[in-house]
Amino acid sequence: MAAAPDPTSLKYLLSRLSRHPAFLGALIGILAAFSQSLLISAGGPEAYGFCVACHTRDLVNGMTNIITGASLALAPISKNAILPVMSVVGVIIGAFLSAKVHKEHKIKKTDYQEYLIYFIGGFVVLQLAMVFGGCPYRAALRTGYGDITALLFIIMMGLGVIAGTLLMLRKAEKEMN
Amino acid sequence: MATGILSKEVAIYAVPLVTLLLGILIGYLAQRSGYCSIGGFRDYVLFRHTRLLSGYVTLIVASFFGYLLFWFLTPAAMEHFFWALTSNPLMPVPGAPAGLSPAAYLILAAIPGFLIGLICVLLGGCPIRQTVMASEGSYKAAFFFIGMCVGSVIFAAFVSGWVVVLMRAIGLGA
Repeated sequence: MAAAPDPTSLKYLLSRLSRHPAFLGALIGILAAFSQSLLISAGGPEAYGFCVACHTRDLVNGMTNIITGASLALAPISKNAILPVMSVVGVIIGAFLSAKVHKEHKIKKTDYQEYLIYFIGGFVVLQLAMVFGGCPYRAALRTGYGDITALLFIIMMGLGVIAGTLLMLRKAEKEMN
Repeated sequence: MATGILSKEVAIYAVPLVTLLLGILIGYLAQRSGYCSIGGFRDYVLFRHTRLLSGYVTLIVASFFGYLLFWFLTPAAMEHFFWALTSNPLMPVPGAPAGLSPAAYLILAAIPGFLIGLICVLLGGCPIRQTVMASEGSYKAAFFFIGMCVGSVIFAAFVSGWVVVLMRAIGLGA
């Protein structure tokens, strides 16, 4: 039997810390501000340090522009730089590495109907996020930067989640009966 | 024009590299902690669990203090901090379709906010959680990500223009 980990050891503390969402939240907030102060000369917009929806848009449209010579709209920072922002590629690599290292990588397949629902879901969420100008993460960064519309977005998102949760509960109750 | 620590000539090469490293760090920790903004609200509503929600609340607070810190250190890079005090408080930070009135931006924040919350909670995760689940091997999350990629081309080509036309049609142009 393995000995219980020493609660004061640095390794144990780091592993506890790395698994707490608040640690990552603090890290994204500080690093997003740092990356703006580092890279803003390449172009705006401000409060653009990390965003899954916008950075996916920049990545896909930027690469499409480079490969096919099209001129799809993207943020100035990605238009001016030699390559568009790569944070989404980083998230995929980082999450894959972590899943492999901790043996949590597992292929999960479902049916085609569900794939279609998720495809449409991703499509619609991106349209909505782009209309607002950011995913929930950029909304948080913008709120920190002092943007009142982003605060409204977060409040409405909370209401949307409450509505969705009630919907799920009602559906579960129906299935129980 | 805002100027950061790196000059423009250096920054255009640094952008992909810095964001890639930032992304790897965030992706690694997001996989460890199951980080999710929508999931935080959902867990609180369903079970009164605050663990995931603490991540999102910390992000908002930390980003304020982060921007405050770097505003002290490099004021030239934070041209419009604090946005509501240096600009029209009802206008958003650039990034949304341009050339509309403040009322239009409030509508364009409220409706997408509600719908994103609704759709994402039904699909079981916000965009970053779906991306992380796709890396963990979930096919349906991978299809969510593919949907986002296809959506970004369609948005730039068609939807962006329609939103502006629609908002101007109901009298909310700039």
